[in-house]
Amino acid sequence: MLKLVSTVLLSAVLSSPALGQQAIRIGAPQPMTGPDAPFGDKFKKAYGMAIEEINAAGGVNGRKLEIVIEDHQAKNALAATVAEKLITSEKVLVMTGGRASGQAMEIASVCQRLKTPYLVDHPSADMITAKGFEFVFRNNPTGSIYPQAFLDFISNHPGAMPKSAAVVYDNTLFGKTIATAAMKKLKEKGVPIVANEAYPVNTLDFKPIMTKVKGLNPDYMLMVAVATTDAILLTRHAKEMGIRPRAFVGFGGGFGVADMHTQLGPLAQNVFSSAAWSGNTNDPKVKAFYDKFHTKYGIWPHEHEVEGYSAIYILADALKRAKLTGDLEKDRDAIRQALLATDMTTVFGKVKFGSWTGPLGDTYTNQNVYSPEHSVMAQWKDGQLLNVWPRTFAETSLTFPDPLAMK
Amino acid sequence: MRRAAPWVAAIAAALLVPFAGPGSFVLHVLILVLMWTTLGAAWNVLGGLAGQVSFGHAALVGVGAYTTMILYLKLGIAPWWGMLAGGAAAALVSLPIGLLCFRLRGPYFSLATLAVAEIVRLVALNFESLTNGPVGFLITALPPLHLGGWAVNWESKTPFYVAAVLLAAAALVSTDWVKGSRLGAYLVAIREDEDAAEAVGIDTVRVKVITLAHSAFLAGLGGGFYAFYFRYVDPDAVCNIGLSMEMVFIAMVGGLGTVGGPLVGATFLTAVAEVVRGQLGLGHLVFYGLSMMLVIRFMPEGIWGRVHRLLTRPRGAAADVALGG
Amino acid sequence: MNIQTFVQSLVSGALTGSLYAMIGVGLTVVFGVMRIINLAHGEMVMLGMFGAYWGQSLWRLDPFLSLLLWAPLMFGAGMAIHRFLLRRVVPGGELNTLLYTAGLSLLVANVALLVWSGDYRTITLSYGAEPIRPLGIAIAVPLLVAFVLALVITTALWTFLMRTDLGRAIRATSQNAEAAILMGVDVERVAVVTFGLGTALAAAAGVLLAPSLYLYPTVGELLIVKCFVIVVLGGLGSVPGAIAGGVLLGVVESLGAVYVSSTYKDGIGFLLFLGVLLYRPSGIFGVGRS
Repeated sequence: MLKLVSTVLLSAVLSSPALGQQAIRIGAPQPMTGPDAPFGDKFKKAYGMAIEEINAAGGVNGRKLEIVIEDHQAKNALAATVAEKLITSEKVLVMTGGRASGQAMEIASVCQRLKTPYLVDHPSADMITAKGFEFVFRNNPTGSIYPQAFLDFISNHPGAMPKSAAVVYDNTLFGKTIATAAMKKLKEKGVPIVANEAYPVNTLDFKPIMTKVKGLNPDYMLMVAVATTDAILLTRHAKEMGIRPRAFVGFGGGFGVADMHTQLGPLAQNVFSSAAWSGNTNDPKVKAFYDKFHTKYGIWPHEHEVEGYSAIYILADALKRAKLTGDLEKDRDAIRQALLATDMTTVFGKVKFGSWTGPLGDTYTNQNVYSPEHSVMAQWKDGQLLNVWPRTFAETSLTFPDPLAMK
Repeated sequence: MRRAAPWVAAIAAALLVPFAGPGSFVLHVLILVLMWTTLGAAWNVLGGLAGQVSFGHAALVGVGAYTTMILYLKLGIAPWWGMLAGGAAAALVSLPIGLLCFRLRGPYFSLATLAVAEIVRLVALNFESLTNGPVGFLITALPPLHLGGWAVNWESKTPFYVAAVLLAAAALVSTDWVKGSRLGAYLVAIREDEDAAEAVGIDTVRVKVITLAHSAFLAGLGGGFYAFYFRYVDPDAVCNIGLSMEMVFIAMVGGLGTVGGPLVGATFLTAVAEVVRGQLGLGHLVFYGLSMMLVIRFMPEGIWGRVHRLLTRPRGAAADVALGG
Repeated sequence: MNIQTFVQSLVSGALTGSLYAMIGVGLTVVFGVMRIINLAHGEMVMLGMFGAYWGQSLWRLDPFLSLLLWAPLMFGAGMAIHRFLLRRVVPGGELNTLLYTAGLSLLVANVALLVWSGDYRTITLSYGAEPIRPLGIAIAVPLLVAFVLALVITTALWTFLMRTDLGRAIRATSQNAEAAILMGVDVERVAVVTFGLGTALAAAAGVLLAPSLYLYPTVGELLIVKCFVIVVLGGLGSVPGAIAGGVLLGVVESLGAVYVSSTYKDGIGFLLFLGVLLYRPSGIFGVGRS
């Protein structure tokens, strides 16, 4: 079994490690086959580019970085298996990746037990950093932070406070967390929730739900989707059924991808996307990253690629500061200590790990303390998704209420 | 017990493996094989011995896993007791399911089990006060256990390996025992011709319900072990159709209705999956599908059944193939 | 909740249901003649959906027009599957065949996953962006076109079964295979043609569904479960039963989501399914064979 090593060497530079100096290995379980394989591929590309850049610039204290990706096929048990394999057989110093929360939960559990630091780069379940695992760190925001920009908008934009809201969300950990966080705040502000509808992920037909919602005539239409297709179909069917609220607000990566425009065309106009993170192309550094990624791989990076790319830089920064001795156990703890002292800015934004209380009352351990600031609300305008809230990040002025709204 | 000595020897030998000093990853893979053996054997009792093809066994695994989690996280009952309770709970849940679904035969029964499993999954997903919904349950630390003044080390794989050996042994030994019993003879009769079995006075529904409860107990044990070992349970992990199908494949590829089949099937499919995943970068489900088709087409008695037939060729009677060791 | 909401959900439910029905008809015809529940039926629908997708993206073929290409092609593919794969397994018994098609389903879905990746795709039609709104009821154009075509195909199938010699042979075999053999029906040929027909119907339904839904390699898993519900509701083996079952499921799902909760929508379907299986195994209309 030990011979069945699938090391993914991601660049030509890597295949010829510097003489005498072993490469520093980072383990990353990702779905490389199966239904989630497209996501695994996004991360593979992102890690590859970051590692190539770092190695080209001399590596980490003269040592090359190497990423070892193992396929977990989006299965929890397999995620635990490959995490175990990476740590005990492949002897990686530190872990990242995971992709979906179920798999990340297993990886976090294994890493905590085997005392190996794990930097979560994308999975968003609050629970991952709310169980007191001191070896688990997370750069990206938790699910309950997704609605922050939206909640900030309704509180601070004049006249934006909803008179009523319909909330439609998928019945997954992701959908449920976001919907709960949003509804909790709305209720505190006395906003009536006229529809509270959970749908199974990958629903093929939203027309029945939308028919019901239309009858309720909500002031705001909130839609949560973990799957891009659900996001697009929700929007399509809501508009087709003739729901006309003052604002459509989408939560989840799907509402921010180019497919929204290419597949929905004019139906996407003025739909808001409140995300945990939204690429701020006002920032020249982010713009440069986008361009370079596009030149290298021919695709524009999104949330996933930015998260994967940034994770490698955060790890490289910690590895630079950690004193590595060659003793696996000591080195892993040294990296953990170094991660605790992280204070830097990546393409994703500022990062510093700390313990604090999340919007739903969870106590986070080693969760990026800047997470709430990453939340941005953007709006679709003539085929472009532009940041509109908070005002400091705004690329354009927002259109509210929706001109099509029922008077 | 027909042949106690070989069983004792095999179990003792299996228990000695950790002393040979395999790495923890090797032990992990062995634990997986044994867990799959237990689950495959659970399905095999009903599907192989009684010929009742269930597409919903994941529901029973789910009941076992959730029982273990709920007892530990809500009532503080240690998971090793929880596993047993999980088996018992699954057996209990199987009674009404059996009484309902066994009114149907053949493919109708299979479709009904599929529907039952989907309903169980929806309950796990939506009955949040009991199951935590999509959030699921996570064990952050296992309770201390002292065996004769010796504290069990949960960081090590050995205690899990020992538990997995005992579970798989329970599954296989009980299959062997049923096959040699009067119940086993009834099951063969039902599998071959249910009307004829009824005509000779076998209470087929009762026999099938008992067998389902046996099968469910083993599936629940396996589910409890999943919770105990992997420490995280959500509806996706233990209640999906994919899991039901994997149990079918293991029993089928190993050898339907044979005692050793599930062990062979679990080893073959776990090993193949690992090679395929690591070396070829392909989804192992392609190979599950392909091996399933090849086995049914070219050796419907399964790997174990074929090997057993070759070994016992001198006697080589058709009945022997059907019973398959 | 007003009357318009009710009518709207009734109409959308019936339209979606008519497409479900077409998938169900394919499964039920095959079952009638061969006593096989083809678990790979959902994958045949998936192949039809991908056919429509590639037709449009590679050759700019209108998805509905591509029906003329994919239905005959899949008819041939279905006959080949029967001729070269299933025929040798069927004598091994009902359960072996059932499990064999489970293996086939897994193989086809996962090979598709390898070749086409798990990306979700959609087909956008130039004429599909805005729904038409007669009497304030919104009807999506692609769904309406699909409905009309499904109606045409089902009528054609009905005529074929009722009016042609081969159709009569299929019905005869479905009612009583042994008697059909005695009457000189070439059952082997009937089985091959029927399996081709079932596959073609599945693929045609896939082509029609593609512009209204989205497609991905494992979509068959979702559809096959619905398909079981439909054929059991209508009575396994009965064509009119499958049509009624499909429309009924579409309407129940739609009304269930509006008046109960979308969370329990699927649960309602399964409970109905179990109830019919247990208490009316010949289907709610009593036309199927138990």
